[in-house]
Amino acid sequence: MSADSQEINVREKKPLDLGGAESTSGEPRFSPDVDIWETDAGLTLVADMPGVTADGLSVDLHENMLTIFGRVGEPKQPGKYLAQEYEVGDFYRQFALSEQIDQDKIAAAVKDGVLTLTLPKQAPAQPRKITVVSE
Amino acid sequence: MAILRWGQRFGRPVWELERMRNYMENALSALAGGVDHFRKNYTGVFPPVNLSEDEEKLYLTAELPGVDPQSLDLSIKSDTLTIKGVKKPEAGVVEATFHRREREAGSFRRSMTLPLKVQPDLAEALFKNGVLTVTLPKAAEARAHQIAVKNQ
Repeated sequence: MSADSQEINVREKKPLDLGGAESTSGEPRFSPDVDIWETDAGLTLVADMPGVTADGLSVDLHENMLTIFGRVGEPKQPGKYLAQEYEVGDFYRQFALSEQIDQDKIAAAVKDGVLTLTLPKQAPAQPRKITVVSE
Repeated sequence: MAILRWGQRFGRPVWELERMRNYMENALSALAGGVDHFRKNYTGVFPPVNLSEDEEKLYLTAELPGVDPQSLDLSIKSDTLTIKGVKKPEAGVVEATFHRREREAGSFRRSMTLPLKVQPDLAEALFKNGVLTVTLPKAAEARAHQIAVKNQ
């Protein structure tokens, strides 16, 4: 089926499930829709994060836990609301990675509200580098 | 006649009146194509929109991540705004194993009746970070006019 003939279904934005924990700001946060695919070279993650700029984006990989957070640049539109069919809020999602990812080669790009993360796999023979930062 | 508090002895009749008033208001607003009409007409067609106003303009926003701005087509005919566009699937994904596939691709088209008259020739549309914002200046007759009070 071609992309043009298939119609997009409307789906509500998924509010972030913090396991009972509330956000201190009281503002809504959402879990972005993602595509994740794997090739021999590595993983690619694509996330829909409308309203998020490159500045407002943070991607963190710590102990195989990948965290993506996107701050929405302009949460309020001007004027008084007449109708509100969707809510605006920051995006947050975490993934536990099973593959060994080469942290130094992670690339992130954001365009038209879509984050594309390229996570190359670590070469198996390569010893794992541990960087100790003194404070 | 004795003065009675709302919600005490006369609680129920008042509530009945309130319900009737709401019903009348909704019926009138639907006839006039007001804001309630706009809200209730939402049938779950992509994309959901937010509509706001100030004294001069109407602002309509829609989240359209990954939609090619070139594919966006907006038109206004009398007081009906139509948004059309295409969200293309990721190109060049071959021989890959999908772990997650939550993002949808496809085409969309939504028409909506605006709650008041606008000036279509002065409308502006901006697509920024996957968010579409349409600014629609209100028609002169739809704007509230301030009446100066003269002090004598």
